[in-house]
Amino acid sequence: MKRNQKAEAASVSTVGKTSFIKNLWKYRVLCFMCLPAILFFLVFSYIPMPGAYIAFTNFNYAKGIFGSEFVGFDNFKFLFTSGKITMLTRNTLLYNLAFILIGNTLQIFVAILLNEIKNKHFKKVTQTFMFLPYFISAVLVGLLVYNLLNYDFGFINSIIRQFGGDPIKVYANKTVWPFIIVLVHLWQQTGYGSIVYFAAIMGIDAETVEAARVDGANAFQKIKYIILPGLKPTIIILLLFSMGSILKGNFGLFYNIIGPSNSMLFPTTDIIETYVFRTMMNNFNFTQASAVGLYQSVFGFALVLFCNWIVKKIDSDYSLF
Amino acid sequence: MGKTFKKLLSLCLILSMAVSLAACGSKSNNSGQGTDGGTTTAPTDGGSTGAIDTSKHEVIKFVVLGNKPTNGRLEAMMTELNKKLTEKVNAELELYYVEWADWQTQYNLLLASGDSTIDLIGTATDWLDAWPNSKKGAFLELTDDMLKTYAPQTYASVSEDHWNMCKYDGKIYLIPEDNYKQWTNHGFMYRGDWAKQFGLTNGVNSFADLGKYFQGIKDNYPDVIPWDAAASGQAFGSQLAGGYFQSNTQTLFLDGLEVPVFFGASKDDPFTLVSPYMEGQEYIDFAKMMKQWGDAGYWREDVLNYTGDTREEFYAGQTGADQHHTQTYYTTVRPQMDTKQPGSDVQFFSFSEPSKNLVNLIITHGALAVGANSKHPERALMVYDLLRNDEEIYRLFNYGIEGTDYVVTDDGKLGRPEGYDDSTDALGTNYWYGRNDNLELDNETWYSGKADIFANYDSYAIDSPYSQLVFETDDIASYMANMSDVFASYVTAIAFGKAGDPEKAVADFRKAMKDAGYDEVYKVLQDQLTAYKEYLGK
Repeated sequence: MKRNQKAEAASVSTVGKTSFIKNLWKYRVLCFMCLPAILFFLVFSYIPMPGAYIAFTNFNYAKGIFGSEFVGFDNFKFLFTSGKITMLTRNTLLYNLAFILIGNTLQIFVAILLNEIKNKHFKKVTQTFMFLPYFISAVLVGLLVYNLLNYDFGFINSIIRQFGGDPIKVYANKTVWPFIIVLVHLWQQTGYGSIVYFAAIMGIDAETVEAARVDGANAFQKIKYIILPGLKPTIIILLLFSMGSILKGNFGLFYNIIGPSNSMLFPTTDIIETYVFRTMMNNFNFTQASAVGLYQSVFGFALVLFCNWIVKKIDSDYSLF
Repeated sequence: MGKTFKKLLSLCLILSMAVSLAACGSKSNNSGQGTDGGTTTAPTDGGSTGAIDTSKHEVIKFVVLGNKPTNGRLEAMMTELNKKLTEKVNAELELYYVEWADWQTQYNLLLASGDSTIDLIGTATDWLDAWPNSKKGAFLELTDDMLKTYAPQTYASVSEDHWNMCKYDGKIYLIPEDNYKQWTNHGFMYRGDWAKQFGLTNGVNSFADLGKYFQGIKDNYPDVIPWDAAASGQAFGSQLAGGYFQSNTQTLFLDGLEVPVFFGASKDDPFTLVSPYMEGQEYIDFAKMMKQWGDAGYWREDVLNYTGDTREEFYAGQTGADQHHTQTYYTTVRPQMDTKQPGSDVQFFSFSEPSKNLVNLIITHGALAVGANSKHPERALMVYDLLRNDEEIYRLFNYGIEGTDYVVTDDGKLGRPEGYDDSTDALGTNYWYGRNDNLELDNETWYSGKADIFANYDSYAIDSPYSQLVFETDDIASYMANMSDVFASYVTAIAFGKAGDPEKAVADFRKAMKDAGYDEVYKVLQDQLTAYKEYLGK
């Protein structure tokens, strides 16, 4: 006991090189518990990193990654000469911004509402139901959307016909799809995403809430002055995380809802992933696909650094690093 | 004591987690290994099988395409087969199925992984990317010595000409399916009874007739969708346009390019590169016709997003046509329809009919390759030699166990036992990589009109002038990728009349193709075609 205290005192006072090793030994059990996670990232994230080199080669199966011919930026060419890079980047960015902004707002809203529900059973049932869509595969979602909206036998058009109206050609109208896709995404993700916020709310000190109540705060004041500020760190961290993948679309959702051949809808629904998939399907040139992956990652990385920098400017306590 | 035990336990848990994670990682880490030359030494004395060392039992993994059957018949047959194979070459066969869902990516991905457990691979130059995969090093080079020694019967049965068609850069990578007569000429299957009813007494013989047939269905059978095409994710767009060109021009389609827009001018001038997509009136005519068909409701309004199964609907009488090739017609659809819709008298309108423009199927429409990293390519070849040439093994592998899977009828044809239903009881080995007419049994269940169709095709079909042509497209890969997207964006939409004003759509398509680099690609390919012409000495 005494020895531990001493060591603690030492580590606090001398923040030098030796203390790292000492700390390592001191927190050896914690470190051991971290080991699987560290190994996981080493094996699946750091060791494959040199594989990004594929993007710069003319890959040959027999020669391997580093035996293949180096071709510089040739594989990136198609992406920038297609004349579509701005449209694709714009679509991808806007969709993701919509997902992040509307999605997070809705998730926080739902989490707060869940927190206000007093009946335990009702709360559990609600949560479960909101969770469910998250586990439906994108293929099924695509089918559902098709069966709802298609012209000849779709649910909505059948109803319209029953009442003598003119059926609508949804699959020929590119302007409505951004709304449909965002809506479907929210339907799928909100329940699941609200869990993190809900957990964060549960973590807020109950005494503070109690004290506010005693001081006469009403429900709205409670939310405004206690819960929302309490959620701030979580919100910022989740936002920063999602920034990193802002150029990565939800491929499964887009591909299954729009499909590979309905080019009438592409101007408003094509994202980088679906474009690359269509292009690469025919010639299976995965060096070009890796080039696109690298472009997305580098862009995402830069964006995270940029956002983090901004957050740091405003309030350095909340930045990631 | 409790504390140390807990510590030990947690340590064990952590270690086991770490080990399992590490194991997962290492699995994907063994690519890029070359073959170690094989452990069996090739005898130099010209291939007497006695000299080959087969003392070690090997398992040969064979990649085939198709959905793995689960009716138990495959497993029963494989048990029998492996007994025989063990007896003959001390090896057994294991089938690895690349299923039809996502096969286009799955198949290439499997090869790209460099998996060293893959020994035999089914492939094809016109629909399974055999040449790009050869170039990228997915297949093992098959030397004459190897073939002579380990697949002597196959080696002897394939002519030198045919071996030449399997060479890339002077090296053999494929074994062709060159002794099997088949036609995969595409066209429309339609109901003969309905066609007669609509006044098409001679059947459907052109696109114009097809339009009349569809309109007849529209007028007489309001509950039937004339052609319930599933255009989403399928190649219907280019098949329809390609079929129209085949019907109305003498251009010859060039297989095996990433973007299927290039054709040879005609059978008299096959080495001039043309594209009906890019020039001339035919594509505009086609676009207009399809717009009219689409507006008339010959397929559903949302055809581009529909993914249903036309053939099943055809069997059920819910649609009036199915688009596929001759072989599907006489082996499957016609016999099935005769039982499921008696009296339907299904006929086949082949795209080659109006123009007599037909090229014999290339011998590498089915082909076999050996995996680049296979650990025992010699034994794999020995197994293949038996699959292809040994009557007992051939029948076992293709037809199953005699008596339960098939019977030989009195007149020496292949029959099926009582109560056998092909749609549920099929063996499903999907062996398209070395079928052999010498060992094939005539199938009793196939449509009897097959012989007439073959005789008709034979009267006008020519051999492919491009059988030894392999295009080099590395330098134009980025243009190809861009063109590929333009093609995908326009062609299916135009083919189903969904691209707005047809003339404008075609003009837009042509302009977009040019912008994507069509002219540069044309030049490179034409140069290679000219070089090939000189190589042939013509």
